[in-house]
Amino acid sequence: MLQDILVTGLVNGGVYALLAIGFSLIFGVARIVNIAHTAFYMLAAYCFYALLVKANLGFVLSAVIAVGAVTLVSVVCYRLVIEPVREHEAAVLIATIALALIFQELMLLTFGGHYLGIPSTLEGMVRILGVSIPYQRLLILVVAAAALTLVWFVLYRTRLGLAIRATANDLEVANLMGMNVNRVAMATVAISVALAAVAGVVVAPVFVVDPFMWLAPLVTMLAIVVLGGLGSLKGSLIGALIIGYVEAITVFALPAGAYLKGAVALLIMVAVLLARPEGLFGVAFEEER
Amino acid sequence: MLRSIVVALAGTLLAAGAHAQTIKIAILGPMAFVQGENHWAGAEMARDQINKAGGIDVGGRKMMIELVRGDTNEMQSVSDATNTVERVVTRDKADFLIGGFRSEAVLAMQEVAMDYKKIFLGAGAAHSKLGINVEQNYDRYKYWFRVTPPKDVDLVRTTFAVLATVADQIRKQLGKPSPKVAILAEKAVWVEGIVAASQKNLPAMKMEVVGLWQPSAVATDVTAELAAIDRAGADIVFTLLSGPVGIVVGRQMGERNMKAIAFGINVEAQKDEFWQAAAGKANYVSTLDTYAEVQMTPKTLEFVRAFKERFGKAPTYNAGTHDAIQLLKTAIEQAGTTDADKLVPVLEKLSFVGAAGVIEFDKRHDPVWGLGKSTGIAVQWQDGKKVPFWPPQVPGMQSFKMPAR
Amino acid sequence: MYLLRRGWAELKNEVFVLPSRTLVLAWVVALLALPAVYGDAYVLRILTMTCVFAIFAASWDLLAGYTGQVNFGHALFFGAGAYASALLSLRLGLSPWATIWAGAAVATLVGVFVGYLCLRLRGSYLSLATLAFPLIALGLLFAFPGFSGGELGISGLRRLALTPTANYYIAAVSMLAIVFALRKLADSRFGIVLHAIRDDEVAARASGINTPRYKLAVFAVSAAAAGFAGALLAHYIRIAGPSSLEVALSFQVVIWGIFGGGATIYGPVAAVFLLYPLTEWLGSFRAVGELRLLAFAVIVLLVLLFMPRGLAPWVRDRIETQCPRCKQRNGAWKRLCRLCGAPLQAEVARAQRLVGHQ
Repeated sequence: MLQDILVTGLVNGGVYALLAIGFSLIFGVARIVNIAHTAFYMLAAYCFYALLVKANLGFVLSAVIAVGAVTLVSVVCYRLVIEPVREHEAAVLIATIALALIFQELMLLTFGGHYLGIPSTLEGMVRILGVSIPYQRLLILVVAAAALTLVWFVLYRTRLGLAIRATANDLEVANLMGMNVNRVAMATVAISVALAAVAGVVVAPVFVVDPFMWLAPLVTMLAIVVLGGLGSLKGSLIGALIIGYVEAITVFALPAGAYLKGAVALLIMVAVLLARPEGLFGVAFEEER
Repeated sequence: MLRSIVVALAGTLLAAGAHAQTIKIAILGPMAFVQGENHWAGAEMARDQINKAGGIDVGGRKMMIELVRGDTNEMQSVSDATNTVERVVTRDKADFLIGGFRSEAVLAMQEVAMDYKKIFLGAGAAHSKLGINVEQNYDRYKYWFRVTPPKDVDLVRTTFAVLATVADQIRKQLGKPSPKVAILAEKAVWVEGIVAASQKNLPAMKMEVVGLWQPSAVATDVTAELAAIDRAGADIVFTLLSGPVGIVVGRQMGERNMKAIAFGINVEAQKDEFWQAAAGKANYVSTLDTYAEVQMTPKTLEFVRAFKERFGKAPTYNAGTHDAIQLLKTAIEQAGTTDADKLVPVLEKLSFVGAAGVIEFDKRHDPVWGLGKSTGIAVQWQDGKKVPFWPPQVPGMQSFKMPAR
Repeated sequence: MYLLRRGWAELKNEVFVLPSRTLVLAWVVALLALPAVYGDAYVLRILTMTCVFAIFAASWDLLAGYTGQVNFGHALFFGAGAYASALLSLRLGLSPWATIWAGAAVATLVGVFVGYLCLRLRGSYLSLATLAFPLIALGLLFAFPGFSGGELGISGLRRLALTPTANYYIAAVSMLAIVFALRKLADSRFGIVLHAIRDDEVAARASGINTPRYKLAVFAVSAAAAGFAGALLAHYIRIAGPSSLEVALSFQVVIWGIFGGGATIYGPVAAVFLLYPLTEWLGSFRAVGELRLLAFAVIVLLVLLFMPRGLAPWVRDRIETQCPRCKQRNGAWKRLCRLCGAPLQAEVARAQRLVGHQ
């Protein structure tokens, strides 16, 4: 059972990390709580389904087009909907909620309310440490690691990454230093949603696809991001692993209580917040006057 | 002057008469989802059939059926569902109500329908509370009748009957006197009774219960449960699943090439979309179901074939609205009136041959269970097709397959 | 007779001088007179639900708009009130008239508990933490299905009154009472402290205000109102189920609150009165019915682009202006302030144009 927990926790943690890091990025740079983050993840899954199953385009092509299309949609949405109301935090909040609802309803109308299955990219299973793991899950882990490495590279080794980090640190000074803050924000949105889209494309074959699939990961992702500390990428990664393991432990140790895994994860988050109100690695933001 | 008055009078009489020529039946369901679609599809078939044959004979006068579409949105909001019922009764002037799916919503909808004393035929919610209300407060709730599915307690009886058949096959093929059963039930109120009954009765049926696993009804991953079930060496996975977890179970069992056979209640596996949703992996998954191309009653084959031809897919149990309307027609013609109070005693004594089975109502206005009455059937997914295999004596049934070992 | 003259004097001097107050009066009169004019059971049902949700939205505004504690799990209080009242009413056989208050009391306790847990949290951390609470509560409810009825909830509750009209009046009168009470509270010294806590809690504490106590108090009041609304709804549709704790409901009240305009109390109430019947009306058409949520979201988005601070502030700014000298509100078309006689902005602008100032 221990091996089961080790492996399952790692795989689930990897998936959550993909989602959480993207969300953390947007919050850190643009101070936007993007409720629609997992809705983009859902959009990517549907796009992938449509391209793969309906248009028969093959895995790689469908994946690339799906990620690209969803990233494009996100940038357009940002320009049209979020940017005009940037100053009003409250308005941004419900704008993202409304966006998520719109995506949900559009998917409901286009594809119907029933569940869809996406064929796995890789078939078959492999035994590691005595645990049978489908290749698809290993693929998820590999893709998650690759995506995160890519993000790290962009953030710490490129000029764009420097601009993003600077803007996250202090928006006004970055603006004064001559960085186009709006463009940096847009780039961040693109990177962040691209991460979510990659998650959607890789993870969707393992789960079922339906118009409401964005709600459950949203809650878990929020729990992770809060737990790790809003705006801290390291915190999101570690938070994702923690929550992944907590869920694995709940399911394996308490078979009759498996349905509680969500509630347990949230309880952990609340417990951590009581001890450290900014999350594990969070930065307490100066109240912007 | 006189002539214009006569013409006007004739006109109003005709208009009033024309209006009174139709019986309005409201179909209530979540129309954006499969359940509502089936509600409406079954009703449309019944309406077209009856209207083409001339309509319903109400005490000598022929009246056509007019359907009112009531999208309850019950999946997302219980209060919306109650609003819809109120609207179809007061605004659209519906005479009868048929449908419903989500039990929490149907309980609330029942209240509104009983307030207005309208006959409400249930075609989706299985919870016994709906029938218990009739027994405990007959005068208020007598207008409620459940046409489909059989109440949850009766579903159990069918399940056990089929389970016995499956266990027998395992005993013969594998030579195991006492097959091991793993209970995989979603965490929900409706499974509680069945789980308790299984844990008590299965040993007496010469089956060994090796464990109980309860994922959430919307769980997206059951690897943990399946890994543990594998380790426990189960031969049968007894599923009690109504949510999307049914798809996940089917798919992941196939991906793991599990030797155990999945049988039980798996509502998602009743739908045609199940095979695609499980990415073609859910071979050998079996479940209780309602319709197949078998001769449960003389009407079954004809109904299922006509449904498939018209709508391109097989009916789910929600298409029982078709039987409900036909049943209503019989009752109205027998009673000679559409008055609800007079129809109730007629419905109570009715024995109606529907497409799903023979419908008779008990004290709680639930369909009576029994071979020859309403039992439902059991189907198994074999290579992308839903194959019916129980009750074995009904013409059209095929055999149950097991995965190669 | 004296009372009548006094009443008329009050009306003339306090209410009719400001268009916003006149609007509110007109709305109150319309609400109370409706059944006499249009007694359709369906319309009464929609408006009863609207009144209940208006209480819910107003209670959120007190917490989030005034005090800045943006609560993403407000449905917890709603559900707590509903379940408490349902359990007491069904298991102990008490009359709903009594259990509604008990439901509100239980919700208040829950509110104080949640408030205590959230005392040290700020901003987005608070919002996301509050999101978790209803979900944890749902998990608990499902873990004890014998007690809570699991996914079915508790059904068979008694109504407060028998006729649709009576139920409507109960809902409407409670809504008016609670909304006016909340508004009075928000306009008082208590409200000023809440504003201070929202704008700069550190400065408020430095000024000697015991902010944790105020925060707990506002959580309690807000939760009480929300619990009352939850209990009212439960007894109206006669079932208290997990749908009263859903994330969707929490998001819905956030949308109503912000769409209507934070820190106004009337804003969210207006938002509910506009949006709820609108979505219901959209849902009744065959073709458009399935698009109701989509239409709702699009409307919210569009309106937000034009009125980012919310509906009520936008409307109020159109019909009223502030006097530059005494800061009191006047009707927008007035030339002189009603209180200090100073020329209002429009008048000043006109004078400047005449004289030729830039």
